[in-house]
Amino acid sequence: MTLRIEDLPKEELFGQGNGGCKACGAAIAGRQAMKVLGERTIITIPASCMATLGGNNQKTAWKIPFYHTLFEMAPAVSSGIRAALEIQGVNDVNVVSWGGDAGSADIGFQALTGAAERNEHMIHVCYDNEMYMNTGGQQSSQTPLYALTSNDHIGKPVKKKNMLAIMEAHGLDYVASASIAYPFDLMEKFQNALANPGFSYIHILAPCYRGWQIPGEKTIEFARLAVESGLWELFEVKKGVRTRTHEPSLIPVADYLLPQGRFKNISKKAVEEIQTSITKYYGRGDK
Amino acid sequence: MSTTLLTGSEAAAYGAKLAKIEVIAYYPITPAFPAMERVSKFIQDGELKANFVRVESDHSALAATLGASLAGARAFTVTNSQGLLYMTEVCYHTAGLRQPVVMACANRALSAPHSRFPEQGDAVSQGANGWIQLFCENNQEVLDNTIQAFKIAETVKLPVLVNYEGYVQSHTLEEVVIPDQEKVNAFLPLVRFKTLDVENPQGVNTVTSPDFYMDYKFRQNEAMNEAVKVIGEVAETYGQEFGRNWSGLIETYKMDGAEHALVCMGSMVSEARLAVDELRSQGKKVGLVKVRAWRPFPVEALRASLKKVNKVTVFDKNIVYGMGGALGTEVRGALYGQASLNVNSYIVGLGGRKFGLNEIKQVIELSEKTVKQDVISEWFGL
Ligand SMILES: Cc1ncc(C[n+]2csc(CCOP(=O)(O)OP(=O)(O)O)c2C)c(N)n1
Ligand code: SF4
Ligand SMILES: [Mg+2]
Repeated sequence: MTLRIEDLPKEELFGQGNGGCKACGAAIAGRQAMKVLGERTIITIPASCMATLGGNNQKTAWKIPFYHTLFEMAPAVSSGIRAALEIQGVNDVNVVSWGGDAGSADIGFQALTGAAERNEHMIHVCYDNEMYMNTGGQQSSQTPLYALTSNDHIGKPVKKKNMLAIMEAHGLDYVASASIAYPFDLMEKFQNALANPGFSYIHILAPCYRGWQIPGEKTIEFARLAVESGLWELFEVKKGVRTRTHEPSLIPVADYLLPQGRFKNISKKAVEEIQTSITKYYGRGDK
Repeated sequence: MSTTLLTGSEAAAYGAKLAKIEVIAYYPITPAFPAMERVSKFIQDGELKANFVRVESDHSALAATLGASLAGARAFTVTNSQGLLYMTEVCYHTAGLRQPVVMACANRALSAPHSRFPEQGDAVSQGANGWIQLFCENNQEVLDNTIQAFKIAETVKLPVLVNYEGYVQSHTLEEVVIPDQEKVNAFLPLVRFKTLDVENPQGVNTVTSPDFYMDYKFRQNEAMNEAVKVIGEVAETYGQEFGRNWSGLIETYKMDGAEHALVCMGSMVSEARLAVDELRSQGKKVGLVKVRAWRPFPVEALRASLKKVNKVTVFDKNIVYGMGGALGTEVRGALYGQASLNVNSYIVGLGGRKFGLNEIKQVIELSEKTVKQDVISEWFGL
């Protein structure tokens, strides 16, 4: 079943009046996801841009129950929410935790791996802007090799930790990558996650134009370039079966990397090495 | 109603069962774990309809308990020492969100150096986190306070920590009366507080500006002040219903005509009662003030009960480095400006160092010898 724009609800359950930057990739991801998650959803968001932009004093940008949790605990809180709903006989509410890359892969990883291993009936979303934006853009385990961050003017010396592989290794029935430049692909993945009665993990590449040092109006464009260059593969793993959901055109990776301010220190040789590994990866017919 | 032998851990578990908790999330730690194992057994045996969330850490244990509470379930957990410290951030958060969570705490010394033995330093370290804290002197009180804790929590909308000492209570059998379920149901009917509710969506813990933050904190503290009254009322009603009135924030024992008052909390109280009995039989005018609620701190009650004595001896099973024992410091603060009395305070029993009836009597003797100048946090039993 392919989603069409006319199938989507007109109502915006998240986003209106949010306190984020004007071209925030994370907020775009939230808006897209909510088109599928719907109003019977309870969302928990650990400390992050997405948590702070979601509500201020007595205002909230969410039309569903939204809880800005402590940094390390959103999936644990959501587990408790699910347990509470179940004991009250409520079975038609979607339980979601939604963390940044730090809130999912770094400080938040303990609660995430715990909830995933217990196969809690919930979805965890990692919206990945590849750095700690809410505290000014420091390096995370999701920052890619060579990228500059506010605490490093040389470039990251080690690789991005492969969270999708780690989450796959939990033996989950649904794991997927997504990108805000492919909204229908993203939304279909949320539909698939909702159909899974256990734990689902969705990792969304959601550029932060400020951290990436790109023009704000190019947030979506760079999300697309990441996919088309082959660096960010769109796929899903349903009950152990891995499917690539979008075949990239494999534009030169330099077109993705070099215009970004955060890669201004990257060497020609490094770009070539990345290109070689991408070519090799897709060349092996891995679909 | 039935009477049976229970450890403190079992008493906490029975209290939680009688309170009909709906969600328990828990992470094992010694010596609190038997309480959780007992609750799990109640659930698996079909004696308690509750969901157990087997979390991967203490931090997540309180986080899941909090999540359950926010979604409208009666929620409970158990911990102590390192587990409690690891939860600290969530403790503050739970209180700030005004959630009626109840947590049992089998008090244990804090590392380093590593110790798994009893002490009250873990609870004391959380003295500013916004939780109501009750200390229990025996296993019957553990059971009774666990039930009362839910009543108090749900009335003032603050979480409650129910303290009982590791091993001394958690692993020691005592005769405990288990009240009838129907009577507990009547005393503690299920009330749902749904904060995260799809029928009534709200944003929780939004970014709060200086225009609002301080007012929230004022209200939170007002709830603590309200608890001063509520804890007493709940004890009173519980006493009427179940025949055991553990009194409110404090209980006075043989304070009529007392010139010298002992002040302590937790398991030391039951032994201090024996010391008072013995000294009274020798004609010495000694009495006891049991601090049952450490938070809110019973300032007014202590002032009233210690009006006529000329000496107060405080036993502190905790140490606030560079300041002394927490109870001594706070008793002294509460009594400041009231008559001229000595408040002598002693650091005792840390990390399981023996502090029983004999030691209590020795400290009383030391304290009796002092004149005028307060003894401030002298270490006993080194
Ligand atoms: C225990 C704790 N440590 C540190 C922080 C400070 N902090 C808040 S958000 C954040 C970074 C969040 O990064 P990420 O999860 O990637 O989300 P982003 O802001 O990038 O969207 C940090 C370090 C905190 N709130 N709590
Ligand atoms: S800093 Fe980046 S992630 Fe944060 S709100 Fe702005 S655009 Fe979004
Ligand atoms: Mg980030």
